Amino acid sequence: MSRKAILSGLLLMMVIMTAQMPASRVPVPVTLSWPDYFGNRVFLPAGNPVTEDGIALGRRLFYEKALSSTDQMNCATCHQQAKAFTDGKRFSAGADGVLQPRNTMSLANLLWVRQLFWDGRAASLEEQAVTPLTAAHEMGQSLEVAAAKLQRQRRYPALFRRAFGSDSITGDRIVKALAQFERTLISANSRYDQYLQGKYQPSVAESNGITLFYANTDTARGIRGAGCAHCHGGPKTYSDLFHNNGLDSLPADAGRQLITGQAYDKGRFRVATLRNIALTAPYMHDGRFPDLESVIDHYSEHVAHSETLSPFLQQPLRLTGREKKDLLAFLHMLTDSTFITDPRFSNPFNNN
Amino acid sequence: MIKNCFLGLLLLMGINAIAQQKPVVKVSGEVARPLTLYPENLRQMKRTTVSLKDRDGNDHAYTGVPVQEILEQAGVTTGKTLRGENLSKYLLVRCADGYEVLFSLAELDSSFTDRVVILADESGGQPLPAGKGPFRLVVPGEKKPARSSFQVTDMIIRFAKD
Repeated sequence: MSRKAILSGLLLMMVIMTAQMPASRVPVPVTLSWPDYFGNRVFLPAGNPVTEDGIALGRRLFYEKALSSTDQMNCATCHQQAKAFTDGKRFSAGADGVLQPRNTMSLANLLWVRQLFWDGRAASLEEQAVTPLTAAHEMGQSLEVAAAKLQRQRRYPALFRRAFGSDSITGDRIVKALAQFERTLISANSRYDQYLQGKYQPSVAESNGITLFYANTDTARGIRGAGCAHCHGGPKTYSDLFHNNGLDSLPADAGRQLITGQAYDKGRFRVATLRNIALTAPYMHDGRFPDLESVIDHYSEHVAHSETLSPFLQQPLRLTGREKKDLLAFLHMLTDSTFITDPRFSNPFNNN
Repeated sequence: MIKNCFLGLLLLMGINAIAQQKPVVKVSGEVARPLTLYPENLRQMKRTTVSLKDRDGNDHAYTGVPVQEILEQAGVTTGKTLRGENLSKYLLVRCADGYEVLFSLAELDSSFTDRVVILADESGGQPLPAGKGPFRLVVPGEKKPARSSFQVTDMIIRFAKD
């Protein structure tokens, strides 16, 4: 055998050995996408870029019951995909059976939400996730205990290594992975989206509903409007705003005032997205309205006055029965059936 | 019984007692001196009165402190220093309800414009009404009053970088 052949053989062996060594995998970045009309005012913290392995881990953690003190609850107990990540209840029960003081919020299009919770107290999804995981009347377990439980499970150290570069499981990494998964929960394929993209012809009622939603009443010019877009914004049907929407003249829950201490924030709550709204009953921070008809009736006839009532709700809308039905038709257009059946958001444990 | 009533009263008071904060406007970002302005601070600064056509179509007089004065106190690049790259700076005004509006610094500077934008705390000698006050930005001469925003809480100066 010539020296050249020996050398080639050695080289080949080295190549094979190198290929078999456990390479330190670099997480693959994921570029999230959404329609142009959503705009790019998104919140993606530099310290937690979304990656394939981070999202996969976050999805698993979202459905992981070991994250609750009783091993009986996961995030999806209250945030069920089929209901646009709500649970249909007025108040959800925690691991200890105690009810929450406010209604569970939907998890659609959180990329555009800067201040989370009904009162806006959390500035990021990472910060937000700590509360449901650790609060006594929610999942009721410290992040340290949660991390230790996962560390003992066979599969998790490798999943954390893939997502974050080492086997170490920490509370910080748990909330980061959850936040990455939540950022992927983009709902942008409703009939309204198809209409905006020129692929769907709305019915007469839907078309009237769209007009009413965006228009403001102008009696002098004979224009009827419900002015919903003041707070519910453009095609996202969401703006980062806090308003007192006139539920009570003396609010039982002070809302944002509890966070800021400012008198003018009394009874103010974060404006909710209307995406998938037909799936997220009951409505309002206290889940007082069982259906969308009651919500429309509220804005039309029952707004309660107070010092902090939104300036956009000072005049009653007094919608006709026809107008209410048209608005309702528009709200139903916002249901995104692909969002609630998307396998990427489903329970990964069901496939194991 | 009396003891129980007393306890109940204490509990009730506890629930109702939300730590009340004084209203404030914070000036931050590309500033030499971040400011925290309380109502009494604004009353001690240079003040002026301007007129604004409100949504009702009528002119109303508003009194307060010129935004330029506030920016100067915070050490923002104004007047002679508002040139070169500083012309790509903006002021973001944030309100209690989360509403935000934006101005380029040149829009607010007397070396560029005669229009005086103020942070108002009075109208017709009275404090601003609930819902609009205590601090309202007043931007005269615009076709709609959408930038004359209510309940200002933050004035943030930044560079537009892209």
